[in-house]
Amino acid sequence: MDYFLELLLTLLPDLIVVVAMFAALGLDYSKFRDATLTRRYNTSFQITSIGLFIGIIIILLQILEKMPGLDIQKTAGQLSLTTTTLTIKVIIFALGLSALTLVKRDQITKHVSEYYALFLLATLGMGFVTTSQNLLVAFVSLELVSLSLYAMTALNQSKATSAEAALKYLTFGAVASGFLLFGLSYLYGATGELNLTEIGKLESSSLLITAYLLIFVGLGFKLALAPFHLWVPDVYQAAPTPVAGWIGSGSKIAAAVLLIALLQPVANSQDLKSAVIPLIIALAVASMIVGNLGALRQTNLKRLLAYSAIANAGYLMVGVLAFNEDGNQSVLFYIIVYSIGSLGAFAVVSVLTDQLGRDAEINDFNGCWKTIPSLSIAFLIFLLSMAGIPPLAGFLGKFYLFLAAISAQPDVASLNEGFYWLVAFALVMSVVSLYYYLRVLKAFLVAPNEESNANSVSIGGAAGFAIFALVAAIIGLGLWPQPLLNILAQ
Amino acid sequence: MTALLTVILSFIGALICGLMPAKSYKSIRWVALATAAAGFILSAICYSNLSDGKFADKFEFDWIPSLGISFITGYDGISLPLMLVTGLVAICGVLFSWNIDTRTNHFYAFYFALIGGVYGVFLSLDLFLLFVFYEIAVVPKYFLIAIWGGVRRQFAAMKLVLYSFGGSALVLLGMIALFFLTKDANGKALETFSLVALQNGEVAASAQYWIFPLLFLGFAILAGMWPFHTWAPTGHVAAPTATSMLLAGVVMKLGAYGCLRVAIGLLPEGAQEWADYVAIFAIINIVYGAFVALKQDDFKFVIGYSSVSHMGFVLLGLATLNEIGLKGAVLQMFSHGVIGALLFALVGTVIYTRTKTRMLDEFHRLIDHMPGISWVFIAAGLASMGLPGFSGFISELYVLIGVWDGVSESSLSSWILIGAGLGILMTFGYTLVKIHEAFFRKSKINNATKESTTYPAMTIPEKFGVTILLGASLLIGICPWILTDKITPSLKLLKLFAN
Repeated sequence: MDYFLELLLTLLPDLIVVVAMFAALGLDYSKFRDATLTRRYNTSFQITSIGLFIGIIIILLQILEKMPGLDIQKTAGQLSLTTTTLTIKVIIFALGLSALTLVKRDQITKHVSEYYALFLLATLGMGFVTTSQNLLVAFVSLELVSLSLYAMTALNQSKATSAEAALKYLTFGAVASGFLLFGLSYLYGATGELNLTEIGKLESSSLLITAYLLIFVGLGFKLALAPFHLWVPDVYQAAPTPVAGWIGSGSKIAAAVLLIALLQPVANSQDLKSAVIPLIIALAVASMIVGNLGALRQTNLKRLLAYSAIANAGYLMVGVLAFNEDGNQSVLFYIIVYSIGSLGAFAVVSVLTDQLGRDAEINDFNGCWKTIPSLSIAFLIFLLSMAGIPPLAGFLGKFYLFLAAISAQPDVASLNEGFYWLVAFALVMSVVSLYYYLRVLKAFLVAPNEESNANSVSIGGAAGFAIFALVAAIIGLGLWPQPLLNILAQ
Repeated sequence: MTALLTVILSFIGALICGLMPAKSYKSIRWVALATAAAGFILSAICYSNLSDGKFADKFEFDWIPSLGISFITGYDGISLPLMLVTGLVAICGVLFSWNIDTRTNHFYAFYFALIGGVYGVFLSLDLFLLFVFYEIAVVPKYFLIAIWGGVRRQFAAMKLVLYSFGGSALVLLGMIALFFLTKDANGKALETFSLVALQNGEVAASAQYWIFPLLFLGFAILAGMWPFHTWAPTGHVAAPTATSMLLAGVVMKLGAYGCLRVAIGLLPEGAQEWADYVAIFAIINIVYGAFVALKQDDFKFVIGYSSVSHMGFVLLGLATLNEIGLKGAVLQMFSHGVIGALLFALVGTVIYTRTKTRMLDEFHRLIDHMPGISWVFIAAGLASMGLPGFSGFISELYVLIGVWDGVSESSLSSWILIGAGLGILMTFGYTLVKIHEAFFRKSKINNATKESTTYPAMTIPEKFGVTILLGASLLIGICPWILTDKITPSLKLLKLFAN
């Protein structure tokens, strides 16, 4: 077959999403220019979601090798299309599709098709970060994600804080990207290679230590690690809720995948390891403390979720420390599971608050068990998963992280060797986290209905189905995680 | 599969109750009663099927093989008494909450989620699975107390859950350590969570020394060990009756069971190193719990602290590390499960719904006003005190003989024996004093329960509940071999007695 035709087929899922994006933009600008807002949201939703859906189907076909796409040669080494990366990509697309159902309900701006287009661009970028095999492709894709997210954060024109948060996000984000690019340039300088596999074979040098220092700043920002977390609560609170959900899920997966790929050289070099590990421990401990203690005092639900995101990023770094196969798999598994739970939580908040007209305080959800029992149960499942309660997937994710961290050096004479103490600290912190998760759940499930401000809301077919699917994923991955673990192990 | 059905049925019962409309609370409680009864009947079938000390009725499949996790369930003579007591308390919990009419559907959904988790813990033969069920049992407790509880329920529920999770965190760390540090004969790590495989592996004595306290303390927090017992009285008091029955009756046993099955079962050498400390804490539990119970004015707090004190006997039995002492500990778990639940039911529902107060000062010679109930309580109190003929006597006797053996083999210090004796005296003391204060004393307070008031007799569900629990205690008190015949062969198979 012709080389370009094959390349076209390999990139077909992404192309279809791009086509859907332009179709949505074009139709919205021409035919539906004067239609009602709801009509415009619905049309754009239909076009973009069909595009994403076809994209998902094609990626699935590629994974099952019914379609060309798994041959790395075709992309001249720019993309790594393995079962693992494609599976992560399909998960991102599927999460994007669920998030789109929220955009459809969340009619906050008149720039309808732009909202959808930016959303798709962010999703595309995330897909490319996970499959990229080249430093520049990875960086450009990550910037595509970030720029779309900055713009979407500002979309809510009725709120001044939305623009403020976007500006904050942009300023911090641009600086972080600068650091990341600087770090990547050092990696390039050390090898003269942009290919991630080549970089994986690097020997230790002081140049690399500097490179990792810079990369941690850049990716630490994307992953919401303390001390690069200052933007997180403001952005989560002020951005449109579906966007906040997407910042907290899809972009996290992309950043975590990139982090794992970039850290490959460390596993092979003892020198590098001993230099990098203290850095990671510092980031992990700081994030767990800032996130968990910060969340204790929050009364705003979205801010609370933001602090919980910081804390969860801290747990993630515990798995990164292992620097072995188990560590990498546990990080990927955890970030996928966490993203599903986090997006689910934001989905529930989005559905419940789009009629409230202001920021949702925790007390606004008092008595939800009476008015919207199904959503309350869904929220219970998402939060318990994030808190790490078995048999939900979040527990297994955390458990695997801790198991992996200890597997790095299991034979110890006492608790202060190996990473036992760090895992112990993380466990103490998850006990703390349970306090604030339960405080939220108390509003949803315990507080009497008399004080309730929550009106009965209609969930709507698409969003309802998306939330149901996310719940099913959390329970399913908790009860039967082996298939996903097998894929991640390849 | 019979044994595993208890778990499955409980969860199905939870689902059905949860999905039924709250309006039809009358039918919900029958569904609840049927589910609880089914659990007990299945446990009874398990009882008759168990012929030797080995694990019976094993159900096994590879769950998450890449992490060394399998789904293995089964039961032996140690878990069997606890399954039985879970069944009994579950039934009686429904009987004593017959009148609950707010959010009845949700109440029983959480109630049976908790019970399913409890059965699951007793049946798990894989450490990971055990932990999963252990945690499943924690969350419903929060909602059961926070929604249906009494005064200070939010505080008590949160405190209880955070203590439980603190304990679980220690257990989880110990579990992961066992995963990596249990070696086979060639010194290779087993990397499995299967209890049977772990039991056949070797853990270096130095590792046992630091893993044992993690696991034991982690589980013992839920067993109410001093100084981590404070969740128990506040939790018990704030909880609705059925929940305090479950808490005292079975949830505290989860902790003690974990101590025996996991900490002592897998780390016998670590247990021997720490036995003295465990015994000291157990004595403090017994004596301190008794002293504090003596000082309480709130009847429910008296029972709450008596629970802490009685759990001390379980811990003391565990500390002896000899067969008879451990037998006493298991028997005491059953015995206190039944009697503790009964006492909470009597104070929390039977007496409180009639007097509308739990303050001992306000009780005015209840023996005259509710003679039937008073005599039932006195019987239960004496059973709790360890009157011969009731199960408490047998179990505490076994524990004491175990301590005596331990002292004569000089594996325990003789001070422990003196402490235990003091504990027995104190138990006699506070039980009799509190029975006097509640039923025979004239109240000095004006707004006390009036002299002329007569209270209605026990309702039919209450009578059934009392009969079941008191009957179980009497039965085991008179024929202890019903349980000990099953317990002893299983205890003999513990790694502790391998040499």
